[in-house]
Amino acid sequence: MIETPPALAATAGGSLLVLAILAPVAGILLSFALGGRFAERVALGLTPIGLAIAFAIAALVWRSGAPLVYNVAGLPPPLGIALRADGISCVMLAAAALVIAAAAFYARANFATPKGVMEARAPLAFWILVQAVWAALTILFVGGDLFNLYVALELLTFAAVPLVCLSGKPETLVAALRYLMFALFGSVFYLLGAALLYGAYGTLDIVLLAERMRALPAVWLAAGLMTAGLLAKTALFPLHLWLPPAHANAPAAASAVLSGLVVKGSFFLTVRLWFYVLPALPGGAAEAVLGTLGSAAVLFGSVLALRQERLKLLIAYSTLAQIGYLFLIFPLASGAHPWVADGWSGGIMQTLSHAFAKAAMFMSAGLLAESLGHDRIAEFAGAGRAMPATFFALGLGGLSLMGLPPSGGFAAKWLLLRASVAAGQWSWAIVMLAGGLLAAGYVYRILAPALSAGAIVLEAPPQRSREAIALALAIVAAALGFAPQSFFDFLEVGRAAATALR
Amino acid sequence: MTGAATALGSWLLAATLAVPLLFLAACLSARLRSTALALQWLAPVPALAAAILAMGGGPLALDWPALRMSLKLDLPGALILAAASLLWIVVGAATFSGEARKPNERFAVSWLLTMTGNLGVFVAADLLTFYLVYALVSIPAYELIVRDGSPSSRRAGGVYMAFTILGGALLLMAFALLAAGEPRGSLRIDDVMAALPGSPWSDAALALVIAGFGMKMALAPLNGWMPPTYAAAPIPAAAVLSGAAVKAGAIGLIRFLPFGAPLQGWGEALAIIGFVSAFYGVAIGVTQQNPKTVLAYSSISQMGVVAAVIGMALASGDASAPSKVAFYAANHVLAKGALFLAVGVAAATDRHRDRWPLILAAVLALSLAGLPLTGGALAKFALKAPLGYGLAASLANASAAGTALLMLHFVTRLAGTSSGGEETEGPAAIVRFWPAIAIGAIFIPWLLYPAIGNPLNTATVPTVWDGLWPIAIGAALALALRRWGASLPRIAEGDTIVAVETAFNSGFALGGLLERLDARLRQWPAASLSLLTIALLLAAMAAYGG
Amino acid sequence: MSASTLAGLVGAALVGLGLYGFIVSPQPLRKILAFNLIGNGAFLVFGIVARKGAAAGFPFDPVPQAMVITGIVVAFAASALAAALILRLQEETGNVLLDSDAPAKPPGDEAGAS
Repeated sequence: MIETPPALAATAGGSLLVLAILAPVAGILLSFALGGRFAERVALGLTPIGLAIAFAIAALVWRSGAPLVYNVAGLPPPLGIALRADGISCVMLAAAALVIAAAAFYARANFATPKGVMEARAPLAFWILVQAVWAALTILFVGGDLFNLYVALELLTFAAVPLVCLSGKPETLVAALRYLMFALFGSVFYLLGAALLYGAYGTLDIVLLAERMRALPAVWLAAGLMTAGLLAKTALFPLHLWLPPAHANAPAAASAVLSGLVVKGSFFLTVRLWFYVLPALPGGAAEAVLGTLGSAAVLFGSVLALRQERLKLLIAYSTLAQIGYLFLIFPLASGAHPWVADGWSGGIMQTLSHAFAKAAMFMSAGLLAESLGHDRIAEFAGAGRAMPATFFALGLGGLSLMGLPPSGGFAAKWLLLRASVAAGQWSWAIVMLAGGLLAAGYVYRILAPALSAGAIVLEAPPQRSREAIALALAIVAAALGFAPQSFFDFLEVGRAAATALR
Repeated sequence: MTGAATALGSWLLAATLAVPLLFLAACLSARLRSTALALQWLAPVPALAAAILAMGGGPLALDWPALRMSLKLDLPGALILAAASLLWIVVGAATFSGEARKPNERFAVSWLLTMTGNLGVFVAADLLTFYLVYALVSIPAYELIVRDGSPSSRRAGGVYMAFTILGGALLLMAFALLAAGEPRGSLRIDDVMAALPGSPWSDAALALVIAGFGMKMALAPLNGWMPPTYAAAPIPAAAVLSGAAVKAGAIGLIRFLPFGAPLQGWGEALAIIGFVSAFYGVAIGVTQQNPKTVLAYSSISQMGVVAAVIGMALASGDASAPSKVAFYAANHVLAKGALFLAVGVAAATDRHRDRWPLILAAVLALSLAGLPLTGGALAKFALKAPLGYGLAASLANASAAGTALLMLHFVTRLAGTSSGGEETEGPAAIVRFWPAIAIGAIFIPWLLYPAIGNPLNTATVPTVWDGLWPIAIGAALALALRRWGASLPRIAEGDTIVAVETAFNSGFALGGLLERLDARLRQWPAASLSLLTIALLLAAMAAYGG
Repeated sequence: MSASTLAGLVGAALVGLGLYGFIVSPQPLRKILAFNLIGNGAFLVFGIVARKGAAAGFPFDPVPQAMVITGIVVAFAASALAAALILRLQEETGNVLLDSDAPAKPPGDEAGAS
């Protein structure tokens, strides 16, 4: 028996990672088995357990300052499959647990099984799919093997697509089909790339690959194919054909999960690929391409968001723009430069704050649409007085999107700006500032009519508890602006090992 | 300072921000909200106390490394803070307490937010805290402006927001550059300013600082937002915005420009911008009919003087200038705030029975032009040293004459104000206490002046003469304006803003173009080809390296 | 021509055909077929890889085979889901083209409220 190298050895507490995956999977099976109205109870009951597991993992990693590792069946890579949780895995796990818990409790009003019925299709599907999204995201965040991650990515798509068309209306079906088709297109690209990588190195384990990585033609092609596939699933401009209709037509709770978390799944994998697998490639140009696409997304998405008449479409186009910011992490955090810590912290902070802010905004938009019977922005006059808490959540989320303090969005923008100044890469700074101005424009377009005087008749006042959920998420997004330095140090856990290889 | 005084100073400094924040926190509770909002005029009291302490006994400072936050109150900050907190207390008490018609809660909360930010800008000592409070003094003010929701106020609010957000973006970039120039990563304003001369980005940072804060101070040609905004805002809001909130720009220039070593180029440039604004404000102001608009143009002119003096001090490396400019600004806080209240007073009183309110307003107005023995005379005297005796001093005297002209024009318009309209409706308490407020605004600067010099020096015969002749010239010009003013061109309120709005709207055509492009890109074949292209491009770039 | 080369060429041809179909064909059903073609091309590449492992001295490399089997299951599930969606859409509208009937702004005001 060969001694396992330390980077591959399992750590104490690693079994928590298995538990994190098993919990939602068990929830899905239980929901199927019990069926009917029990699916809702199972899913809701699962949220505190999942939250506790996510925070326990984060606490362990925080205390030890090193990633948590588990080798499935005790077999280390290359034969076995490893699960690893480093700093960014932990924060993403926690964010996913929080947003999904919020979405689940928010969705109770929409997806309760009607009284007197044993089982209704849309509620059952919703509760199972939400748990499936959670399971897939968990695997994505802790997976240590690129093929394993491919399967998780597919699971995520399969769970996310039906969420779009729960209502069964034709336009939602078209949106779902476009989403699925384009996501599948992305998947095969990723799969082809993975095959090439395996052919070159005989393993798909992230740590082993990073150690063995050399610049070979197969690797170049694999990097291009896998990244493009992931971009298709992240809906980075100009691959966004599916996103606006899908996110705007899904039920509000589903939109919150799709916009806040699901697109971050494939983005997270892109980050894994470029910062943990490929850092040994002589870099710069490809990262600049990713940054350029991101910049185009920021400008393009923001301008289009400015021109939307309907609130949910506006928020969906804003997602397109905010995804663009995420990709500035590639030019600003790669390489061994003094500014990469700022770039890295800023990029991850943007991922987190957008997850919370956007989920809060979609939930508020859902409440608005239910109370007003429409979501046409031009007819919001007076709504701010009728539903102050809902608009407060919208505004607080908008604050983060604009990058104004105090908010996570501001912290992210500040860090990314500092990195781009220090790197002398001015174009990103200009894009960020312009994007902030445009975001202010579209947030203003939502809030200004709502704050003005006008008589408005609510079909039904929003439920206080649901307003509170949206508001709580928006407050989390704002509170991220006060993250201390130790939080940013935590984001570096597990990254040092990857960057030391270069 | 003794140990006890230092401790007291730290407490007051912390309370300057903490007390308004406590009031804000109290608003979260439905039970406490109405009480907190009615008593919010008390929230600036610690700020006033801190300012008085700092004027008497040297700067106060406080650091919270855990929060990465530091506060500091030096003499320039203390001078403006004293005047600003006084204004917030007086106008707030008149607006929110007593039997006056209660403004709605959203207005009151926005008031509290703006006030918190306004008090904060004078004590913030690190970049991020400054940016936070600066955003706070700027953004919630939207609600103060559009309170009545009329189309004209919504337009004004939109213009205000556009300028505010753009200015905020410029400042964010400036702060990022300043932070990048500090090698140890400190964000304290003192540290980044000390490191600025050696920074490779110092020119860009200075340009952005001047542009960003210049927008807040409405320096020409970035002045278009101010007249429609003040014309649309209710009287109390216009008083605190024009008096106190605008000084966030002045303190910004004082904090973020490097005084002490001569800085050629930028100093002269700022001085030119300032003097241009000073005369431009007068020139456009005399064509205006609405007294609130006239006051707004006077603010543009006065902030121009502030900027010009800062520019001169920057060029000559005069490290003592900030306190003197701050005194000038503090006088403007009180005078301009009270003058906006005068508009409400004039609308509410019967001029034929009671001429005193108008006479007081006229004295107050001429105080801005440096009428001897008023606070304005002290303010003008304070600028003597930084301006020197050359061209700049002559320009300053000419601008005082211009101010006298503009202020007499204002008094004429005030006398012609008819009551009515929400824009000219002030709180009843203002009318009752108007004599006290006006006299306070005229003479309180005498209490502040000892912090920067001996006030008795200002009462000499040559000084009085210096104060009188620009006013005489201004009065002669005002007579001419009365005689021939009708033939002046009518200029739209906010002059350049109309052109800016037109350009802004034509920008929407670009949006249509992008919308069509979006429809194209979201066609299936286009999107799939994009995917293929991106895959190949990334592969090529990975091969090419960097 | 060795078996590996042949398999590689066939794989490349499958991927190329699939790509063409995926980009050009407006019908979702054909797109599903195209997706499967590309997928099978990828599986062939995995097959060659497994054989290469054998050529390097190992008797065989089992990992790619496990991957291919997993991949086939995933592709099957994807195809099934897509087919179900298409059927549902056919029931609702009688029209299953992806581009022509996918407006940016869906008709009806209640769409956002669902």
